[in-house]
Amino acid sequence: MKAIEAINLGKRFRLRHSGLPTLKDRFIDTVKRRRGSEDFWALRNINFAVETGETVGVIGPNGSGKSTLLSIIASTMAPTTGRVITRGRLASLLELGAGFHPDLTGRENIFLNGAIMGIPRKMIEERFESIVDFSGLGHFIETPIKFYSSGMVVRLGFSIAIEVDPDILLVDEVLAVGDQDFQKKSSRRIQWMKETGKTLLVVSHDMGTIKRFCDRVIHLQKGEICEEGVPAGVVDNYIQSAVKLPPGLGKIAGWGTMEAVIRKVEFPGAAGNETPTFTTGRDLVVEIEYLASKRIENPVFGYAIHTPDFQLCVGSNTQIDGCRVDRIEGEGVIKLSLPALPLLGGHYLLSLSIHSQDHNTNYHRQDYTYPFDVFSPAGREGIVNTPSRWEFLPDGG
Amino acid sequence: MNGILEIAKWKDLIRNLVLKNLRIRYKGSALGFLWTMLNPMFMMFIYFIFITLLRIEIDLPSLLVGILAWQYFVMCLSDSVSAITAHPSLIKRTSFPRIVFPLSMVLANLINFLFSLIVLALFLAVYSLLFSYTIQLGPAVLLLPAVILLQTALVMGFACFFACCNVYFKDIEHIMSILLLAWFFLTPIMYRLEMVRDRAGQFFNLYLLNPMVPVVTLYRFVFLGIPPPLSPVFLISCLSSFLILAGGVAIFLKYEMNFADVI
Repeated sequence: MKAIEAINLGKRFRLRHSGLPTLKDRFIDTVKRRRGSEDFWALRNINFAVETGETVGVIGPNGSGKSTLLSIIASTMAPTTGRVITRGRLASLLELGAGFHPDLTGRENIFLNGAIMGIPRKMIEERFESIVDFSGLGHFIETPIKFYSSGMVVRLGFSIAIEVDPDILLVDEVLAVGDQDFQKKSSRRIQWMKETGKTLLVVSHDMGTIKRFCDRVIHLQKGEICEEGVPAGVVDNYIQSAVKLPPGLGKIAGWGTMEAVIRKVEFPGAAGNETPTFTTGRDLVVEIEYLASKRIENPVFGYAIHTPDFQLCVGSNTQIDGCRVDRIEGEGVIKLSLPALPLLGGHYLLSLSIHSQDHNTNYHRQDYTYPFDVFSPAGREGIVNTPSRWEFLPDGG
Repeated sequence: MNGILEIAKWKDLIRNLVLKNLRIRYKGSALGFLWTMLNPMFMMFIYFIFITLLRIEIDLPSLLVGILAWQYFVMCLSDSVSAITAHPSLIKRTSFPRIVFPLSMVLANLINFLFSLIVLALFLAVYSLLFSYTIQLGPAVLLLPAVILLQTALVMGFACFFACCNVYFKDIEHIMSILLLAWFFLTPIMYRLEMVRDRAGQFFNLYLLNPMVPVVTLYRFVFLGIPPPLSPVFLISCLSSFLILAGGVAIFLKYEMNFADVI
């Protein structure tokens, strides 16, 4: 049976140039026969179905319509064309704790949130203990949630959503909820739901999760489905399509506010024609040419290296490494070196970013954008090159 | 139609929101919910003092009946403009029927109104004893639930309409206070209906079409035994409340899907 069915789904947004319309605006627009708004199709011609018990991932660059799709399936938004049919109780982890009231206690908010989700009060009463249990809030449940930390609020929201035993679960990057223990607990619970035949629709930027977790993947590009199929194939093609855009040549790969962009990246000292190739134990140097269209105080440059199956090998930034960048404005170059590269031979993906100190603003992020190869002369296997020494002591020392 | 039937499923939420609405109104005040009774009590007392002191030629009981009915109307209409726009995060993040917002707002105001009617009944009892004011209480009292229903239908219709309008046109908020002022003078609260009948001539029928005229005059019939100006136009005006309810709800249901995009 189909748990989720999207038929010819489309969503059009009217982008207004200045906030909400007033009567005057409407009047002037009508008189002047102009439209004070522009149409933007966030989704178009979306057709797909998710079978009961299936786990389907949705991937795509930012602004490709992933969140809009989830909002329509969760019916917080109405589609402009087509429709969505869902079968069974649906819970969404998109909007954890929607409608929580700060003055009410955790207990009262559980009931309010349940009411907002349309869950019968009796069912909430039955599940109350396990909700509190899973959230790990203990006696804080009788405290108004305005005294909670943000992590506690999210934990409570997650616990309600997951404890009401939904048939369909919509997941949007939630595996990053709460502290590490809670993250482990919640991803175990989601795994368990998958195993017990629940239907899951997962949106994530973490290709590793998508590959491990999903039975099928839908790749959205500019509001349309551009590929659908087994995770490995679709994810690889997605990465390829993201890499293909030549950086610095008009179009710039990646996403962010673009107030500062990574314009050009060079690998001096690298061998190889198409893919830069480095050698284990030698220096890896990356020269990043940036362009800041405005003055940015205390930006942070970061990098990460992943394996092709999205295992993070290393990630760091100027803040962690103690390189002071007081401000950037206009063009400039920043140089990243990994002395005596401790990676073993293989294929890797380099991600680069410029973001604010608090990580809240991403000026430019290029995820998995720069593939490179590492050549290992020695016969060691794996990812990490660590010197290993053996001592043969046949007589037991 | 489905939307209306579905409302029953959300009664827990409606109860929750009504209670929240009532609690928030008097939040932080020492007397709390008691103000629901104290407010109309003080109001009536002040009117009583000044009208007696200034020897204004006005029938105090019918003035107070009119004012209480008017307050219910005004509270609902002025709350209605923000019924949707005050909850952007809920609108954007949840999927329950949006009509729950104006409905719970109207119900909260209705509860306040019912409490003020209790105060009114007490006041009238004391007043008629102290000032030998004769109140012709008759079987009309039995009409009270019907009149309350009539007014609630009217305010719910308008609340849906204005709540929806304000999402698209922010100006409604500002127009509302002016509209209500004009409306106040078009409703027989500060003056007697006979005055209009005697002077308005042929326009009297037009005046009667203000749906608040039957509401106010019917309350006076219920509480004071003053007969309403029964006429075909008066009955049409009564019925129009239900038409306004149907129209307001229909418009609201047509546009509610798009609230999340615009708000």
